[in-house]
Amino acid sequence: MESERGKLLPFYLVVDVSYSMQGKKLDAVGRIIPTIVDALAKAPILSDKVRFAMIDFADDAQVRLPLCDLLDEHIVLPSLATRGGTAFGAPLRLLRTEIESNIKQLKADGFAVHRPAVFFLSDGEPTDPGAWESAFTDLTYYDKEKRQGFPMYPNVIPFGVEGAVPTTLQRMIHPATGSKPMRMYLADHNQDPAAAITTMAEILISSILKSGQSMAMGNSGILLPPDEDLPGGVKSFGADDDFV
Amino acid sequence: MSAEDMTQQCVPRYVIGEPGRAAALVVPRPSADLWGRKDTVLDGFQVDSPNGAALAYVRAASVRGLSHRAYAKVRQDAYGVRVTGDGRYLVVAVADGLSAGALSHVAADTAVNRGIRRLNALLTGADQAAVEWAPFFRDLAADVERDCRDDLFDRGVADANSRTLPEIAATMATTVSFAVLDLIPFDSGHRVVMGTVGDTSVWVLGDGGWQPTQPVKNDGADLHSSATHALPLPAEPVRAAGWVRPGEALVVMTDGVGDPLGHGTGEVGARLAQLWRTPPHELEFTAQVGFARKTYDDDRTVVAVWPARG
Repeated sequence: MESERGKLLPFYLVVDVSYSMQGKKLDAVGRIIPTIVDALAKAPILSDKVRFAMIDFADDAQVRLPLCDLLDEHIVLPSLATRGGTAFGAPLRLLRTEIESNIKQLKADGFAVHRPAVFFLSDGEPTDPGAWESAFTDLTYYDKEKRQGFPMYPNVIPFGVEGAVPTTLQRMIHPATGSKPMRMYLADHNQDPAAAITTMAEILISSILKSGQSMAMGNSGILLPPDEDLPGGVKSFGADDDFV
Repeated sequence: MSAEDMTQQCVPRYVIGEPGRAAALVVPRPSADLWGRKDTVLDGFQVDSPNGAALAYVRAASVRGLSHRAYAKVRQDAYGVRVTGDGRYLVVAVADGLSAGALSHVAADTAVNRGIRRLNALLTGADQAAVEWAPFFRDLAADVERDCRDDLFDRGVADANSRTLPEIAATMATTVSFAVLDLIPFDSGHRVVMGTVGDTSVWVLGDGGWQPTQPVKNDGADLHSSATHALPLPAEPVRAAGWVRPGEALVVMTDGVGDPLGHGTGEVGARLAQLWRTPPHELEFTAQVGFARKTYDDDRTVVAVWPARG
C-alpha cells in the first residue's frame, strides 16, 4: 500500500420495481437519489466520502447506478420502470458480487473502505421463497475466527411499504444483534405508500448524515437515526421486536 | 463574515492529491461548550547545549480537523515537548483523544503532560536513554484515570469517582506516543527510544524516505477500522528503539497524518519528505501539517525534531 487516497463509505440502495410498484410509488422511488444529491451538496465533509450505488429488482436485478460519487457532474441518474415479480434472491446475489468487486477495485485504487450499508426497499412478499434465504446468507454470513464467509458483508436496513411482510423483512436486518445492531423501517398500515417512501428517503438521508457525523466522532460505518427523530407514518423495529 | 468570504480564505496553501470539497467549503464552527480549547497550537524552537551550540531544531503543530471544524467539535489531539532537567534528553509526546469520547481532549492533555513529567523524573541524570515502558504506561494509565475522574467531578458529574473504568474511558480516552532523544550524539547518531499505546506513530525521516518504527495501521485488513488501544484502559505498549542522524528527522504524529501517509511510500510521503528535509518556519510547518487531501479530515498533529549537524 502506498499513501491512501481516501476513506470511503459505500451505500447501496436496492429498490423493488415489480409491477405492484407502478405509479406514485415508483415516482417516489425515483425522487430518492435526487433528494440525496441535494443533501450531499450541503455536506462537503460527507460528500467527499460517500459513494452510492442503486440496484433495482423484479424477477431479475440490475445495477442501475454503479457505485459512484453522486456529486460527480458526469453522473446520469437512472430512470425506473416496473417489470415482473419480486425475487429477493436476485438483488442479494448481485449485491454480493457488486460489493466484492467494488471494494476490491477501490482498494486497488488506493482507497480505504468502511463497511458498506444496504438500504433494501420493497412493497411485497418475495416470490422466490427458499432461494432468497440462501442468497442472504451468502451475502451476510461471516465467521471472524474461522475467516469463513464474506468478510465485506454489509449492514442491511430493510424498508417496507404496503404489501411488505414485516416478519420477512425482519429476517433481513443485519447485523441483527451485537454492539451495533441494525433496524428496519415499516410504513404504518393506513399510510399512503408513496408518502411512506418519501418519508423513508428522509430517514435514509438522516442516516447518511448521521453516519458522517459519527465518523467525525471516531466510529466507522453507518448509524441510524434515533426513534424519537423519526418522521410520522413510519416506525422502526429491531430484529427481535414483536408485531401486534 | 459570510460563508462565501470564509471560503475564499480557507483555500489551503498545501494540497496533496485531490483536495476534496471539504477543504474549500467547510466553515469552521466553535464548540458550544468547550470555548477554552484552541483550534490550532504550534511551536518552533532551537534546543541549545550549555555552551550555546545548537543541538536540535523542533517544529510542532496540532491542527483541528476539517470534520471537527464542520461539526463544531474541539481539537482532541495534543502534544508536548521538553528537555530533561539535566539538559541531556529531549522528550516528545503526541496524543490523539478518541473521537468517541466527548471529553477525550482532556485525556490527551493529561497523558501528554503527566507522561512528560514522569519521563523527566525517570531520565534526569540517567546515563542512557532507557525506559521501562510497561510499568511507565501502567502508572500513566492510573494518572490519566485519576485526572479524568477529577475533571468529570469538576464539571459537575457527582458520581465521577464511582463510575467504572470503561465508563470513564467511554467519555475520555486517548492514544499516546512518547519518544526520548539523547541530545548527546554517539558515533554521529542520536539514540532514540519510543513507547506507544494506540495508533499514534513514530517515524525516522531521512534520505531513505519514511521509516516506521512500528507496524503500520490496518495493514492487510479487508475493511478499514478505526479501533485502537487507548488510555486510561490498560494496554500493552509497542516499544521501539533506533537512531536519528543529523540530516534526518524524528517525526511523531497522530493518525490524522499517519493514515494518509500510509507506509510513507506514496505521494503524501514524498511531498512531506521534500517539505521537511530541513526545518521549515513554524507557521509554514503548521500549514503543511494541515495539508488538504480528500476525505482526510481528522485532527492533525506532528512533532518533528532535526538533530543539528555537530
